[in-house]
Amino acid sequence: MIKIKNLHAEIDGNEILKGLNLEVGAGEVHAIMGPNGAGKSTLSYVLAGREGYDVTAGEVELDGQSILELAPEERAAAGLFLAFQYPVEIPGVQTTNFLRTALNSIRKQRGEEELDALAFLKLLKRTTAELQISDEMIKRAVNVGFSGGEKKRNEVLQMAMLSPKLAVLDETDSGLDIDALKIVAEGVNKMRAKDRSFIVITHYQRLLDYIEPDYVHILANGQIVKSGGPELAKELEAKGYAEFIKEAA
Amino acid sequence: MAATVRKIAATPAPHRYKPETADTVMALYKDDATHHGEAASWLKELGYSALTTLETQGLPIPRLERWKYTNLLPALKGKMDNGLGAAQISVTNGDNYVQKLSDALADEPQWLVDILSADAAGAEEYHDMALWALSNVFMMDGLVVDIPAGKAVDKSVDISIDGQDKTLSMPRIVVRLGEGAELTIIERLSGKDAHWNNALTQIIVGKNAKLRHYRIQECGDDVVLTQNTHVQIERDGNYEAFTLTCGAGLSRNQIHAEILGENANCDLYGINLLNGSQVGDTTITVDHKAPHCTSNQFYRNVLNGQAKGVFQGKVHVHQIAQKTDGYQLSNTLLLSDTAEMDTKPELEIYADDVKCSHGATTGQLDDEPLFYLRSRGLSEMAAKALLIEAFTNEVIEKLADEPFKEVVSAKCEEWLRDVI
Repeated sequence: MIKIKNLHAEIDGNEILKGLNLEVGAGEVHAIMGPNGAGKSTLSYVLAGREGYDVTAGEVELDGQSILELAPEERAAAGLFLAFQYPVEIPGVQTTNFLRTALNSIRKQRGEEELDALAFLKLLKRTTAELQISDEMIKRAVNVGFSGGEKKRNEVLQMAMLSPKLAVLDETDSGLDIDALKIVAEGVNKMRAKDRSFIVITHYQRLLDYIEPDYVHILANGQIVKSGGPELAKELEAKGYAEFIKEAA
Repeated sequence: MAATVRKIAATPAPHRYKPETADTVMALYKDDATHHGEAASWLKELGYSALTTLETQGLPIPRLERWKYTNLLPALKGKMDNGLGAAQISVTNGDNYVQKLSDALADEPQWLVDILSADAAGAEEYHDMALWALSNVFMMDGLVVDIPAGKAVDKSVDISIDGQDKTLSMPRIVVRLGEGAELTIIERLSGKDAHWNNALTQIIVGKNAKLRHYRIQECGDDVVLTQNTHVQIERDGNYEAFTLTCGAGLSRNQIHAEILGENANCDLYGINLLNGSQVGDTTITVDHKAPHCTSNQFYRNVLNGQAKGVFQGKVHVHQIAQKTDGYQLSNTLLLSDTAEMDTKPELEIYADDVKCSHGATTGQLDDEPLFYLRSRGLSEMAAKALLIEAFTNEVIEKLADEPFKEVVSAKCEEWLRDVI
């Protein structure tokens, strides 16, 4: 689904990603774990195409298509979705309208017909019911006055509505209590499918109790220093990051 | 010519005035017979008094504190080549509550004489009311909207005002709501020919009365609009004003609200969308002269190109006005590096038990929400448009009249489509 080859990226001249390699197959869930400053969020922003993150070397292919030259909206249309660590508040824009505008922007870019109000509402109702999201929440302005849990559920709702090929979850567990975490994980699990892949970026092993990965990678100092199965997360939990970083060095 | 010249109330600040700046408009003043020959004596006296004010003060120049950011004189060039012209005023709805000013004056009702000959409100304090005086010198055409006590008018009174090519016009509108009356006025200014419109509106919101006063100003770039609104709100009265400004080369929306009775409320809202080299100036004074009253000022400005916005808002809480709740906010979005916003929020408080706040922000669209929206598939343009619409929507949401809200939203969208 996605191939990341020798990715180097910098912000303001500081190199953060230093030759990162990762390949995620269709339907797979990969967890990327790493200490603060390892480059976890940089990776997610580089993949989504945020301005200010300069790729100096390497290649990223989504479904065979090189995406590094694409604008963020083109990447979204190509099937990439980033669930933000800190979802942005947008006063004055109702969540429902936002979702419809987003969905139709993507459909338009793909050359598909835009959904009319009725078809959109049907889809929205079905999705919110599955994710147990209240009507009240989607009537409010995007993320304004939302609790931490609500913000993350809103990310999952957007993901479900936009139905991406590859979803990157950037520290979706940060700031969530265990109940909110369960709800969010459940939403993600419902979306697991043969043709959809996930990169789950997290600092803590806890999230992986609820979203079970196929592979676990440890990111340190801008590179993947170790890869393995789900058991690697448990090992990491027991030993701590320092051990692995030392090993790699 | 024997005329008693009434002493003007304002103490002049001679060093700040430039009397000769009034020469252009004084030249339009032919002779007494033309302007005041047939008029009643009170009206003559009013005209002479105003003439003195105008001759002494000249037109407003940036040396006057309240005109520091808006330079009127250069904008007037070529706008009055054809002299004075009647404002083109048309009214829909209004039944028999709306009359032409000349008709309403036929039997000289005392209230109307009183309000027309009232001193320029605020003159004592600001020394910059020459435009009000100008309006008195050339009082020609206008409307009187008089709603009797207890009458709630269902349909909005729609007023459209235009000026003739290269003329100075002086539309005068007087609105009075009797006790418990309710009314919505929608004014539209959309003239395209070059002209200077110096409008003066005087309003009395009676006890427990409710006035919604909306304006949509989308004049052409060759139009100069100076609009002076003075409103007096009596006990339990409610005044809600909104102005959408997206037109005129230079516009000055000057409002002076006097809150005179307890438990009255005054809401002043506006959206200024300016492009090219437009100048849009909002200058407000809210005078709290009674206890337990509330006032809100909420303005949002979007500036593109080399446009310049001005917001000067003042809340003056007099000593008697305990328990005042006064709120004031102006937010500006700059879409270009060359646009300019000048803001001066002011509070002047003489009562000790009040809640007042003021604030002003000026900034550009944030990167974060832009990226968030784009990562969800919106193009850069669509994302910007959505954020700007959201920015203006927050003012529109405050308005009470649902159909009018939709009109304003559509206008804002239209403006955006042209600009980005």
